Amino acid sequence: MNSYSRRMLVIAAMMSLASLAGAQDQVAAHVEVARHIPGWWYIAPAGAVAALLFAFYFYTSIMKESEGTPAMKQIASYVREGAYAYLRRQYVVVGAFFGVVALLLAFMAFGLELQNKVVPFAFLTGGFFSGLAGFLGMKTATASSARTAFAASKSLDKGLRVAFRAGAVMGLTVVGLALADITVWFLYLYLYHHQLFGIEPLNLETITVVMLCFGMGASSQALFARVGGGIYTKAADVGADLVGKVEAGIPEDDPRNPATIADNVGDNVGDVAGMGADLYESYAGSILATAALGVAAASTNGWAEEVAFNYLAAPMLIAACGIVLSIIGIFLVRARENASMLELLGALNRGIYVASALVLVASYFVISGLGLPFSAFLSIVIGLVLGLVIGKGTEWATASEYAPTQRIANNAKTGPATVIISGIAEGMLSTWLPILAVCVGMILAFSLSGGSKDVFAGLYGVSIAAVGMLSTLGITLATDAYGPIADNAGGIAEMAEMPKEVRHRTDALDSLGNTTAAIGKGFAIGSAALTALALLASYIEEVRIGLHREVATAYVAPAPGDDYMVKDLGYGKFGIYIPGADDTMNGRLSHTFSAIHVNGDHAVWVTVDEGATKGEVVPVIVNEMGNKARASKLSVYTTQGQEADAMRSLSATKATLDDYMTFYKVTLMNPSVLAGCFVGVLLVFVFSALTMQAVGRAAAAMVDEVRRQFREFPGIMLGTQKPDYARCVAISTAGAQREMVLPSMLAVAIPVGVGLVLNVAGVMGLLVGGLTSGFAVAVFMANSGGAWDNAKKYVEAGNLGGKGSDAHKATVVGDTVGDPFKDTSGPSLNILIKLTSMVSIVFAGLIVKFAPIIGAWLGLS
Amino acid sequence: MSFHLYLMCHRVDSLVASMLSPEEFGAYMAVGVMKQARGMVIFFEVNPDRLGDAFDREQARKECVAHSNGAPKRSKYVSIYRTLERVPVEALGNLYLSTRDGRVLTLPARPYIVAGEISGGINMYLELCPTHPLVVSRLGPARFIEKLTDQSNPVSVPKLLIADMLIDQDIDGKLASYLPYRDPEHIAHCLTEVAENGRRKDSKTVDRVPSIDAFFRTVGRGFFVGSGTKINYYPFPSRDDLEEKHHWWWRSACMS
Repeated sequence: MNSYSRRMLVIAAMMSLASLAGAQDQVAAHVEVARHIPGWWYIAPAGAVAALLFAFYFYTSIMKESEGTPAMKQIASYVREGAYAYLRRQYVVVGAFFGVVALLLAFMAFGLELQNKVVPFAFLTGGFFSGLAGFLGMKTATASSARTAFAASKSLDKGLRVAFRAGAVMGLTVVGLALADITVWFLYLYLYHHQLFGIEPLNLETITVVMLCFGMGASSQALFARVGGGIYTKAADVGADLVGKVEAGIPEDDPRNPATIADNVGDNVGDVAGMGADLYESYAGSILATAALGVAAASTNGWAEEVAFNYLAAPMLIAACGIVLSIIGIFLVRARENASMLELLGALNRGIYVASALVLVASYFVISGLGLPFSAFLSIVIGLVLGLVIGKGTEWATASEYAPTQRIANNAKTGPATVIISGIAEGMLSTWLPILAVCVGMILAFSLSGGSKDVFAGLYGVSIAAVGMLSTLGITLATDAYGPIADNAGGIAEMAEMPKEVRHRTDALDSLGNTTAAIGKGFAIGSAALTALALLASYIEEVRIGLHREVATAYVAPAPGDDYMVKDLGYGKFGIYIPGADDTMNGRLSHTFSAIHVNGDHAVWVTVDEGATKGEVVPVIVNEMGNKARASKLSVYTTQGQEADAMRSLSATKATLDDYMTFYKVTLMNPSVLAGCFVGVLLVFVFSALTMQAVGRAAAAMVDEVRRQFREFPGIMLGTQKPDYARCVAISTAGAQREMVLPSMLAVAIPVGVGLVLNVAGVMGLLVGGLTSGFAVAVFMANSGGAWDNAKKYVEAGNLGGKGSDAHKATVVGDTVGDPFKDTSGPSLNILIKLTSMVSIVFAGLIVKFAPIIGAWLGLS
Repeated sequence: MSFHLYLMCHRVDSLVASMLSPEEFGAYMAVGVMKQARGMVIFFEVNPDRLGDAFDREQARKECVAHSNGAPKRSKYVSIYRTLERVPVEALGNLYLSTRDGRVLTLPARPYIVAGEISGGINMYLELCPTHPLVVSRLGPARFIEKLTDQSNPVSVPKLLIADMLIDQDIDGKLASYLPYRDPEHIAHCLTEVAENGRRKDSKTVDRVPSIDAFFRTVGRGFFVGSGTKINYYPFPSRDDLEEKHHWWWRSACMS
């Protein structure tokens, strides 16, 4: 035994020769455990398949509709080509980013052995499917706008159904691909991975945490889609408005405006592709985080693997039920001719409410059938109610029928400055409802789930509430994606000079889309906040695994004749190695018991009553693979004559969240935590600033181009020359690609940088600071922007002087300021919150290993 | 190539010869070739044969010829000062309203029955040429023009172009909220004052230099031009007609 081991009084005592021998037996026995998946679990992949089949069915039924007149076809083709051109360029940039990060992850996995080798592939598939969801949604949307406009020439209901079903393709594609990605990965990792590579089967903890890593791919893709799409759409929108509307007096969607096609393209790449990728990530993230927490809860409580499996499967089954019931809801959406705005909204809400009610019923049966506590069902109810409360709160804060927006509009009487002031104030004030709702929902779900006694159970409750909120995403996202489709349809109806009644119908559909879009953004932000708490816990789970991997990587075979080897890796990390490990990482993981030392009262011994010695409590350490090393007697634990000063050690793989909080000094008295908090807040503000500046620069380029075209081609305004639409599309595309890189890179680099310098405590601070400030700022920006937009529409509807009045000019200024708020920075913050969590999770192994070393160099630890 | 004479009556008071059609001329004057000139344009087409001798038509014809590259002459100013007063009402053809982005609406002249004017109501007029105030008046448009062009009246002009403006009210008696006037309370006050003191004061100036933002959205019955009892009336289409038959023009008109 070397010198390090002599410091390990407790551990050494625990690791009696007899128990280690027993452990080896158990290791050997574990390999031969045959795995099977119960038949009911296959409901989850079946739900995914159903979603994709119905998405395909809706797509083909939409494609059977006519695209209308040659003029409509031509306009639609311009938009389609522009959207594809944008996505092609975006995928080149994103592809390069994914290539670099995948190589980095591969180096971490294969070179440094700091994480599972599956992670780089999980990262790539997450990104691929997230991007694919956005692409397919956008492909459908760009193919559906003209069809919606033409269908509206027949009836309002026909127009509504084409637009809504096109949105449903998006919704169902997102949930279908996400659930397919999750279930296929799970199936592979649980049943086939170890067989394929001839290694130990991965335990459920490892599987769930590894699968979480594909969230980073999805988040990264979503961030690029949201930031890039957001910059694109607002550059085009602001450019088109400032020169076209303000300077030249050209109305919206006038074909003489060179930026009008880019504006329509922007609706698709920002609000469809960006939103799809964003919610794909939220949806998948909530399911995976819940599964991970369920398994962690089962593990810390020592529940059987079957129980852990049920906890893991519950969110997947609820998601699958949500898909089927969303499909039913989609079929319920229809409207009568000459339906009012309220009736149209009622038509959409009917689908959502019916789907939500049915999800509750289905969830009850899923929860009770799997033997989960009734509190899990209550958490799902809380999540669904929370989603509706946030949605309604967003509607209250942004719809022109309600007081906040009307207050902003009334301030237009005194000019643009008061419009800006009141818009900022109303936006800030509007944060109270979603924030308090999330707080109440979170605490309720946590406490009802027994969080006061079992933190993981409480967190599972919070997390499954997010699953409940997003369970009907198939239909809620359909209402969201419907918005830009209806908007484009209105533009096409105008540009193609369709009859008055068609324009009125597309206008009605468009107005409805504005309201549903605001509600959808509320859902996205709310789910991000709930999921973020689960991701915080998941981060610690990844730290746990990272620590064990680091210790296992340093495996030193015990000397011949020795039954174990103890090694101090410094910084409070210890490895206890037993003979028999092969050279593979998996083998070393199985023959390593990692430990962290804990001082003071917070030490928690990992003990179970084995019952082998007539009720004597026997300490047991369980390693990452679920294998146990049994000590002889508890009494040995606290003796050796050094009880008072003994450095207590704890199994890293079984330590509780509290233990990790203690070990990494995650306390408000630790300046690293507070510094991390500040950096998290700073990240939110810097990110918002960068994205807004990016919109400003890209819009300036667009303004210059539109002015140039008007100047050099006077026939455009006279209607004798066609504008160069493609040039404006290219400018917006180039601007978005150029400008999205820095903010996106920040989101990835900052969590890693903070982690390496301030260790886990700093990362926790960063995540908390980013989550709390990001949530508030995202709600503020989305609601301010939405309210400014609708204050303008309120005036345009004939209030306060209507179009062209001074009040209108003031609200136009507000709307222009609000554009990047609501469509670029605000929605991107959802993803920033989640991406920082995901990056932290994926890079946890790196932080665990190197942060203490860097901290020591810097004198921080 | 064709020869046209146009009388521009908003901000300028000019007679312009041009080879462009009214629609082309309106677009050209609104947006300019190099986008240098901006703004709405209100102009009449003038029948040269009825113009009389006040202007040198032949000189205008000689100078209004195509450019060497074959491009038509867009504008050749014939007169730029006190022009409206010298153009006989009989020479005035259609009235054209060009929006800021160059879309043109044609308003043909219609007979106006002076005797049919309802007395006792309150009206608001925007004087477009040669003077520019916004006025509320108990007088109908024909009586209003007759009075202001009465040369025995020390406050008069030889000829006047006015637009009848909307003064719709909401249920609560306030000026309708969709009207984009800059100071609706002041207008309401002036309307009340004229209504209450009509016998002593039949008209009141609301604004000497009114803003004409969103002007086309505020036009009521239409435009009146004339002198004494010689009046041409150019009715403004109903909102339904504007949306149905003149959709593109109306969309642009609502922008400015």
